[in-house]
Amino acid sequence: MNFNISLIGLNHRTAPVALRERVAFPEDALGSALQRLKQETGVREAMILSTCNRVEVIASAEPDVALADRLPEFLSGYHGLTLDEVEPHLYSHAKREAVRHLFRVASSLDSMMVGEPQILGQVRSAYAAARAAGAIGGPLEEAMVRAIRVARKVRNETGIARSAVSVSFAAVELARKIFGELKNKAVMLIGAGKMAELAARHLRENGASTLLVANRNPERGEALAAKYRGEAVPFGDLLEHLSRADIVISSTGASNFLVRRDDGRQILARRRNQPMFFVDIAVPRDIDPDLNKVDNIFVYDIDDLQEVIQSNLKERQEEARLGEEIVDQEVNSFLERLQSLDAVPTIVSLQTHLESIRRGEIDRQRGRLGALTPEQEAAIEQITRGIINKVAHQPISQLKSGGGLGMVEAVRRLFNLK
Amino acid sequence: MSLFWLRVALALYALGLLHALVTVVGRRVQTFRFALGAISLGAVLHLVSIVESGLATHQFPVTTFQEAVSALAFLIALVFLFIYWRYRLEALCVFVFPLVFMLTLAAAFTNEPAPTQGPVLQSVWWLPLHASMFFLGHTLLFLTCVASLMYLLQERELKSKKPHGFYYRLPPLSVLDDLAQKTLAAGFPLVTVAICIGAFFASERMGRDWPLDHRVAWSFVTWLIYLFLIFFRWTAGWRGRKAAYLAIAGFATVIISWGVSSNVHAFMKR
Repeated sequence: MNFNISLIGLNHRTAPVALRERVAFPEDALGSALQRLKQETGVREAMILSTCNRVEVIASAEPDVALADRLPEFLSGYHGLTLDEVEPHLYSHAKREAVRHLFRVASSLDSMMVGEPQILGQVRSAYAAARAAGAIGGPLEEAMVRAIRVARKVRNETGIARSAVSVSFAAVELARKIFGELKNKAVMLIGAGKMAELAARHLRENGASTLLVANRNPERGEALAAKYRGEAVPFGDLLEHLSRADIVISSTGASNFLVRRDDGRQILARRRNQPMFFVDIAVPRDIDPDLNKVDNIFVYDIDDLQEVIQSNLKERQEEARLGEEIVDQEVNSFLERLQSLDAVPTIVSLQTHLESIRRGEIDRQRGRLGALTPEQEAAIEQITRGIINKVAHQPISQLKSGGGLGMVEAVRRLFNLK
Repeated sequence: MSLFWLRVALALYALGLLHALVTVVGRRVQTFRFALGAISLGAVLHLVSIVESGLATHQFPVTTFQEAVSALAFLIALVFLFIYWRYRLEALCVFVFPLVFMLTLAAAFTNEPAPTQGPVLQSVWWLPLHASMFFLGHTLLFLTCVASLMYLLQERELKSKKPHGFYYRLPPLSVLDDLAQKTLAAGFPLVTVAICIGAFFASERMGRDWPLDHRVAWSFVTWLIYLFLIFFRWTAGWRGRKAAYLAIAGFATVIISWGVSSNVHAFMKR
């Protein structure tokens, strides 16, 4: 294969943060860095992806440029480091592997937290910066456009980003698994801690309508209720008001259980067995874990939520395998396309095409000329060759100068090459 | 000819079943559209086959075992499509598609002589009504059972606090409970009316002997279980696990009653 794309970089797995921060590129310096990269290394296209977890330089060049050597030199030199400081932490991919790595990064398959959504945005802005600097426009640009499409596909067709990996989102997700839609569900906060507030806000954003706050300190409870347009209830009447709540988030400093198994039975009877979900993020716990044994009541403490997160991460890993398959397919189809747009075979087929026209015309008209001397025969050959060479000269030199993939496609269509 | 369309429908059901399994086991969300398309088209051709069979024999096509099974399979597919349209429950297909496929398979490859009718079935205007309500009602109760089963699986996941495969693939509890309740609320009256019609005309024709028909007796047992279930759901606010167990028990007796008398009705043969 004729294209020469290389990628070097370091990430959270290969380099400590102390090094990552030293080789990071501030966003406003990207343009000038790309200019310098092009000048110093003679690459045709380049892009720099710099986030807090990774710094990667990807470039395409003429086949004879040794990118694998020049890119690390640039990266260390630009940041005033020696090659020895940086090189042990670098990974380097060429051609197919470079494209694959790019696709995997954009699809968040290479992220610290598989499926996290930020990386695609970061890849996009890196691409935008490279465009703005005029540093991209050829096979690398094709690869970038494709990488963004692959990332969306992986996101839509696999579950890598589906399940929650933080405590408060895990609580929301569990509530959804119990209640379906959270619209018109009532949330009660027992205690007004930060974590409880965060979870309540997530639930509110997901449609929960009513918010009740029961706090030992009434002022603080009322303040929180006012902030989220909820209702403060007296801490002493907790058990009475509980039957109004579908989702209960408890985070007090109480040393005894506030809600016990028998309380749960009574509360449930008052609400005609409509399910309840208790999230107990207090340590020591507020809710009797035995309450979970009551039908239609679900109790999750902080460890349970962590366990759910662990399962979700495992689920994401499973889904990531599907993502890898999609990436592999897309790498293949991208390389096929790139190959079909390679300049060299296009030049060859353009030449054979013109030659076959020349031959055909001579064979058709030769009879009319009668007997010719060998010199005359040679002259005909020379004239006709000269014509097609002159016609082909400009297209071929355009193709050779790397006019980009658009040029290859244009020439193929203009001359009707297969 | 009707058998031809039935077999084409069978092939499409097989295709749908395959894609549905790939969707759930292989986690390919995209393939579900093929499954849905295959089942929908299969159902249309299935209807063509049923109509043709009815036109050929000039009676409502539920008189032979083959026709009854075919009609049942069609109804299940139809009700599934309706429920999918309302609830988007992909997981339901794992339970429904194999059954549709098996029933259609049984119908498409049963070699039965042309229906020989006993005198009982001649000029009975109520038979189509009785049979279609009976089948539709039981299809709905089957879905009550499936929804209850999925409810129990999902509830166990949530109670155990260690979510596995089911947790991610099954719908929320409330949706399952809602589906179980609605299919019960629709299926039970249909079955009730179907049994009443059947009992009324059976007694008219058979005299005092009619309750001795196994099918009739078991139908009453089933009916009572469902009556209890509805009663407790409405009065005592039963939901969730208890209701699910009872719904599954109810459908278990349905299956037993069909096992007891695999003929459509014993007294038809007389």
